[in-house]
Amino acid sequence: MATVQEKLITPITGGASEGPRNKVTVVGVGQVGMACAISILLRELPDELALVDVVEDRLKGEMMDLQHGSLFLKTPKIIADADYAVTAGSRIVIVTAGVRQQEGESRLNLVQRNVNIFKHIIPQIVKHSPNCILVVVSNPVDIMTYVTWKLSGLPKHRVIGSGCNLDSARFRYLMAEKLSVHPTSFHGWILGEHGDSSVPVWSGANVAGVNLQTLNPDIGTDQDKEGWKETHKMVVDSAYEVIKLKGYTNWAIGMSVADLTESLTKNLSRIHPVSTMVKGMYGINEDVYLSLPCVLNNSGVSSVINMTLNAEEVAKLKKSADTLWGIQKDLKDL
Amino acid sequence: MATVKEQLIEHVMKDEVSIPCGKVTVVGVGAVGMACAISILTKELTDELALVDVIEDKLKGEMMDLQHGGLFLRTPKIVADKDYSCTANSKVVVVTAGARQQEGESRLNLVQRNVNIFKFIIPNIVKYSPNCIILVVSNPVDVLTYVAWKLSGFPRNRVIGSGCNLDSARFRYLMGEKLNLHPSSCHGWVIGEHGDSSVPVWSGVNVAGVSLKNLNPGMGTDEDKENWKEVHKQVVESAYEVIKLKGYTSWAIGMSVADLVESIMKNLRKVHPVSTMVQGMHGVKDEVFLSIPCVLSSSGLSDVVKMTLKSDEEEQLRKSADTLWGIQKELKL
Repeated sequence: MATVQEKLITPITGGASEGPRNKVTVVGVGQVGMACAISILLRELPDELALVDVVEDRLKGEMMDLQHGSLFLKTPKIIADADYAVTAGSRIVIVTAGVRQQEGESRLNLVQRNVNIFKHIIPQIVKHSPNCILVVVSNPVDIMTYVTWKLSGLPKHRVIGSGCNLDSARFRYLMAEKLSVHPTSFHGWILGEHGDSSVPVWSGANVAGVNLQTLNPDIGTDQDKEGWKETHKMVVDSAYEVIKLKGYTNWAIGMSVADLTESLTKNLSRIHPVSTMVKGMYGINEDVYLSLPCVLNNSGVSSVINMTLNAEEVAKLKKSADTLWGIQKDLKDL
Repeated sequence: MATVKEQLIEHVMKDEVSIPCGKVTVVGVGAVGMACAISILTKELTDELALVDVIEDKLKGEMMDLQHGGLFLRTPKIVADKDYSCTANSKVVVVTAGARQQEGESRLNLVQRNVNIFKFIIPNIVKYSPNCIILVVSNPVDVLTYVAWKLSGFPRNRVIGSGCNLDSARFRYLMGEKLNLHPSSCHGWVIGEHGDSSVPVWSGVNVAGVSLKNLNPGMGTDEDKENWKEVHKQVVESAYEVIKLKGYTSWAIGMSVADLVESIMKNLRKVHPVSTMVQGMHGVKDEVFLSIPCVLSSSGLSDVVKMTLKSDEEEQLRKSADTLWGIQKELKL
């Protein structure tokens, strides 16, 4: 007795469909991981989404909740498992796993806790998706991107840290509010270490190519009567403030990761301030990851923009590099 | 000494008060409210989003977190306040506020808790957006949509319950899995009461216009060897199952609400199974809200589709109507 499916449908292609072309995996289904997942799905970027975590009930629940919205999406396959086999064939793997910053805790304090988790995660990802691009979000992101690069054995252009992508987005939002324009119309870059020591490159801040530092040479300094430096301070304080109010941040980081994912999957060659291996640049001699403007395409970081930084800005990058290396050199088993 | 802004920008228009054209308010910034918010924002449906809640810290934190994504969005204004004045001039107000179902708790048990909350919320919404469309999501949605309608004094086209929009989406997803097709190519309507007593209209289930019940006349009955009835059973149990696994549901309902908001904002006249006043239809005699296929446009719920239901399907609707009326008549509004 033929089933409804058999009566309804005559197959044409013999076997199963080809594998996915734009598979994205999100490791960690906490608030950040799920915000990345929902932003990526709503932007219709992947043809397959895989979720991995260790907490199996929650993982299955999140998978089902996303699947139930399939009618509204263009991602026909959403899967999840604690076993990394589910991630096989991914083009992009987004790593959000790890413990989150507690109220008042600096990012650097998280480090050893998260390194131990990554020792379990990264080799498994690479085993199942040896050609993927890894996007690291977990904090402290610059160190965790270094750790990921070491543990994965992947070439450096395929290991990217979300870095200052969010800091720059917040900077552009806050500056644009002050100037009453849309964030996309204010251009400004925050580079270096994601967090307390990030570097706002005031010399590049502009609207329609009009350089703000030319209009106000004191911009970003303590002498500035308009106090523009405060805007960068607000960026640094942002995460702590949102954490104090709602316990964690997720929406903004999720959206910023989806933005990176779009450049990678669609081979856009857009420039993003993300964390990349900067040894050999700006007098930095150690293997550290810091955010610089990177051209992202479907092979990962294809190139880096040579910023014109003043001596003070270069010194700050070098100082961050030293701080990060100070921690990294003591990490065990990488 | 001119500021950077003064040097950079010259204001050339006479200042007018700008009134948003497609403002959306979300009441309640819990998991459901925020899932609605992020879906609406990412789908670029509105030029202004307002959030309201009673917990001020969380509310401010959620607002800031969304604002920080401003670079990636096309919604230039995101505001939030405990005070409903921030919701003024909304086109659509999505109400997600209220207590959520506990594990194993039925939707009907939530009712009185949520009625009391609505007595505060609805008049405030109406005060600041007298012409808005209210979209009720809080459970039990059919009862609370009735409550919102009564408390608001709005005409019935401007008070809509999210109803079976999600049930039908889940049904179509499961149907798609069974047939190895995309849900949007699987057509099936789940109507009536959102929840345990929803009605799958098997006669309408089709792919490319081919009625599946014609191919399998036992479909939906206990005799069906393919057990399609299980598909509807899974729809009913979906929410409980996800709640058991992750504590609540959010993403699917958020996406389904954004789907409804899109039809309203863009005046699409798409047909959705949402909760509306069905007195006088299908033998229902009382003022109850149940989901039937409705045409959604910029005026809200402008038309309904008259389904041809079997007598046992209509009987189920009437039974739901009786249960809902039984609860509603005891409510102090």
